Amino acid sequence: MLFEGGQGLGKILKAGLPAEFIYSFAIIVCSLMIYFGTKEIYQLSSHKGIKYFRQAFLFFAFAYFFRSFLKVIIIYFNFHGIIQICPRFIIGSVLLFLFLYFGSMAVFYLLYSVLWKKLSHYTLYLFHLIAFMIAIFSVLLDNPLVYLGVNIILFVFILISVYFLYKESKGKGKKKLNLCTIYFLLLFFWLLNIIDILIPSILQSFQIFIYIISLGIFLLILYKVLKKVGS
Amino acid sequence: MLRRGKLEIIRDILKILQDNPRIKPTPLLRKSGISSSRFKCYYNELIVKGFIKEIKVKERKNIKLTDKGFRFLEKYKSIADFIDEFEL
Repeated sequence: MLFEGGQGLGKILKAGLPAEFIYSFAIIVCSLMIYFGTKEIYQLSSHKGIKYFRQAFLFFAFAYFFRSFLKVIIIYFNFHGIIQICPRFIIGSVLLFLFLYFGSMAVFYLLYSVLWKKLSHYTLYLFHLIAFMIAIFSVLLDNPLVYLGVNIILFVFILISVYFLYKESKGKGKKKLNLCTIYFLLLFFWLLNIIDILIPSILQSFQIFIYIISLGIFLLILYKVLKKVGS
Repeated sequence: MLRRGKLEIIRDILKILQDNPRIKPTPLLRKSGISSSRFKCYYNELIVKGFIKEIKVKERKNIKLTDKGFRFLEKYKSIADFIDEFEL
């Protein structure tokens, strides 16, 4: 009985096609507003940190754009995950490649925007190479668990970087902790979004929660950006 | 005294120009408080970016703040706050 009730709740919390569209559209709009909202301050300052921060959100917009196409295919054909799409549709493989490449680069750009002073410019080329490898191997190997494993490793690496960043700027107060927490949540929910694409059955019951919280994080960043930029 | 960052130096140079509209390069260099070689770099960069322009008045070179330069000064606080807020 309880199980049936749980299934019912699961159905309610599982996002349908309209919810997917609204979710993707809202995140893309938020990302583009961050990108274009910071255009003037970047043009005036030519600050590299601002440049990479903007690029991170432009890449998030692209990633969510391709993600929405993949979701449409999954929902429309009632697939259980990306593994069923790639062998059947070339377009599925291309979309998966683009989604993974842009998503990984968005995360790398966000990390680089904070660490660019400490890292060489060549690190960015390395990030592009890693993102390309992740995307191409995930498509060629056709195994979502491989990509999931790679992403968890990536997530742990970024988590350690964010931790050291926080530790370094600890003396500067509560604001730094807030930023680290926001970035941590953004990356964590990005990982959940990937799982949702690769193996939807795992998170089906929590889809709406994941979407609401993900959107909330983007809105929070957008609010902070607009508050500072004043446009 | 804390070492000024690049944006702060640009802000300071533009502020001097705002306060002294008909200033010449040499007094600007003196007031900016940086070495002449660094000043040359900043000066060229500001011209290339369109923040300042040179005008000739009676065969003498004056420096003028452009609209973009004024806009930078207006937006400086937002830029600095933004960089600080997101640890960029």
